[in-house]
Amino acid sequence: MIFTPTPLSAAEDALRHEVRDWLDGTLPADFRPGLGLGGRHDPDFSRALATRGWVGMSIPRQYGGAGASTVQRFLVVEELLAAGAPIAAHWIAERQTAPALLRFGTEEQRRWFLPRIAAGECFFSLGMSEPDAGSDLAAVRTTATRVDGGWEVSGTKVWTTNAHLNHFFVVLCRTSASENRHGGLSQLVVDLSSPGVTVSPIPLIDGELHVNEVVLDRVHVPDDRVLGEIGQGWAQVTAELAHERSGPDRYLSVLGLLRNYLAEHGKDLDDAAATAFGRIAARLWSIRQLSLAVARSLDEGEAPATEAALVKDVGTIFEQQTVETVREIAACEIDPGGSMFQQLLAECVLNAPSWTLRGGTTEVLRGIAAKALTGGGAR
Amino acid sequence: MSDTTELRDAVADVLRGRCSPAVLEDAERDGGAPTVWAALADGGFTTVSVPEPAGGSGGSVAQACAVLEAVGAAAAPVPVAETGLLAGRLLARAGLGLPDGPLSTAPSPGLVLDDGVLVGSVDRVPWGRSAASALVVDGGTVVLVEPGTGVVTPGRNLAGEPRDHVDLTGVRPAAVAPVDPIAVDELARRGALSRAALIAGAARAVLELTLRYTGDREQFGRPVARFPAVAAHLVQIAEQTELAAMAVGAAAAGAGDEGEPDPLAVAAAASVAADVAGAVATAAHQATGAMGMTREFGLGVLTRRLWSWRDEWGGGRSWAAELGHALAAGGADTFWPTISRGLVR
Ligand SMILES: Cc1cc2nc3c(=O)[nH]c(=O)nc-3n(C[C@H](O)[C@H](O)[C@H](O)COP(=O)(O)OP(=O)(O)OC[C@H]3O[C@@H](n4cnc5c(N)ncnc54)[C@H](O)[C@@H]3O)c2cc1C
Repeated sequence: MIFTPTPLSAAEDALRHEVRDWLDGTLPADFRPGLGLGGRHDPDFSRALATRGWVGMSIPRQYGGAGASTVQRFLVVEELLAAGAPIAAHWIAERQTAPALLRFGTEEQRRWFLPRIAAGECFFSLGMSEPDAGSDLAAVRTTATRVDGGWEVSGTKVWTTNAHLNHFFVVLCRTSASENRHGGLSQLVVDLSSPGVTVSPIPLIDGELHVNEVVLDRVHVPDDRVLGEIGQGWAQVTAELAHERSGPDRYLSVLGLLRNYLAEHGKDLDDAAATAFGRIAARLWSIRQLSLAVARSLDEGEAPATEAALVKDVGTIFEQQTVETVREIAACEIDPGGSMFQQLLAECVLNAPSWTLRGGTTEVLRGIAAKALTGGGAR
Repeated sequence: MSDTTELRDAVADVLRGRCSPAVLEDAERDGGAPTVWAALADGGFTTVSVPEPAGGSGGSVAQACAVLEAVGAAAAPVPVAETGLLAGRLLARAGLGLPDGPLSTAPSPGLVLDDGVLVGSVDRVPWGRSAASALVVDGGTVVLVEPGTGVVTPGRNLAGEPRDHVDLTGVRPAAVAPVDPIAVDELARRGALSRAALIAGAARAVLELTLRYTGDREQFGRPVARFPAVAAHLVQIAEQTELAAMAVGAAAAGAGDEGEPDPLAVAAAASVAADVAGAVATAAHQATGAMGMTREFGLGVLTRRLWSWRDEWGGGRSWAAELGHALAAGGADTFWPTISRGLVR
């Protein structure tokens, strides 16, 4: 395990305060925080953030980014999520697509996409899940067939967050039949405004429309939109998921809830409530150190995939338990139209189940972590 | 950070083979393990974080915690936490030198000094029967009493470690010195941190033991570790272990080379470690079946300590309450800045 307490340099600490102060001055006083990565989709905010150099921070300078370290990006992202800032528009592009393009993209793709991502002008969704391929991602059936100058893609993707608002999505699909079920998979960058793409909302239990079904009917994808190598889709997706897992988005969904609990109830906490709240805070304190340790070790050239899975698991379980505990100590009937705290509590209760699903379920993550633990010994 | 890792490994090397089941059984019966103590004392590991001028080995709180993680992992039945990080640092703070041999200390709210003579008693003093005790009286004076002074009523914790009631009425201390009243709070915090460090160490040992056992034990034709439900226990033990170690490491590192740890970071570590102790013990016993419940197997020497240490020096609950009240008093706007302040170099 690579978990060691990670001190910040004075410059890193200053960056954090710079972001915090900017958010204080930018978000309106009556701002309703989003639940971490469930923050609102606001292209104007993304662009404003980009002018500060805080979108696509770890993209190298030659491609329009800030060439920042993983830890620097961590600190910026952490402040954004803690404030519940409206980061959804650029979130996937900056967290996931940009690193994938850097690793697997052609020079031409990098030059075209990365500056636009860093400018907060090019937004991506993720096209992995399908009706019959959830945890078992290799079961995808969306198929691309070779045509003149590119590929023709048909199939159905589901749970595609913000496909109705974003510009592109990276589609995992089958490009050839293969004996090995992890073979024959590829990733294509699909323009969501292409002919043949139909996006239909799937209302979630709170009535909100974030996720979609995306039907692809003989959509043409030119050769220069193939991401990485044809047939290498599985390896590429696995590498991508490791990037997705251990960040602050896995423990900060509840920060706005905790802050507003203190704002509304903090004046008169009895011992039982203070104890329950203190336990939550203590956990949060330590979990963020674990997550920061993973970020630092990425900068040091390690690939802490198991650690990342552990952090996501601890983080998301923590988030769910927090909602239950806060609900208990607030001891009220939840009014979705009530105070800020009440509104956030309502949103948390309704959304908490998804926290241990999205990005790989608890069960699947534990399977991955267990393999590493029992295969490679305890360390 | 690597100096703490090396120190932990060095102490683990000293303890390897010395805390055998037989030694631990003897210690439970006799209330001590002289060979284990001698090995650690010879290496200077019992007074880490006590300044050299006071007779200690020097070093930081983080280094003392690294030693304690190794002590916890080996279930070493000796008062290392008390001698160094707790009583040793307290004596040094009061300008008193360290006597030879093991030291102890415990919260002593009812103890007073009347005309040079002690009145009152102290509860649950670790190894109180055999160690000299450094105790605070009247909130501002440190007294040192010789081993076995006063009337000792033997007691123990779930792991059979001595936790003695010592009535000191009529005892004249071997040394007396005033101390800054804040030293009392600092002692309580180091007490809590010492338990968290011991817990983190023991939890790691539980992880290793449980991984080994479930990898060997076969049912239905394969190692039980291969069943997803068992694997989930293993993953949770690993997660909880890392969480406790990180909580301790972050709090201890915050103390720097010579200072005291941050009060809220200690409260967080104590709360986390207490929760981890329970979760790890439960999962490990489930994963190891009936064998884990036996005296012979060795899980019990660790889990009985986890179940004891989590309640000592206030226990997780009181530290969580302290943290919760402090954060509430700070208000909503300082909540995140406090949680995220971390370590800055
Ligand atoms: C809010 C939200 C947003 C999402 N956004 C996107 C998106 O933008 N793009 C995208 O591609 N996907 C998205 N997803 C989908 C997400 O990745 C899947 O929900 C997830 O991979 C699980 O798949 P599933 O829902 O089909 O569950 P299933 O795979 O059907 O699982 C059902 C149950 O079986 C368990 N299970 C399955 N396999 C195993 C196994 N091998 N071992 C043990 N247990 C197992 C699971 O843990 C779960 O408990 C989103 C999901 C949510 C909730």
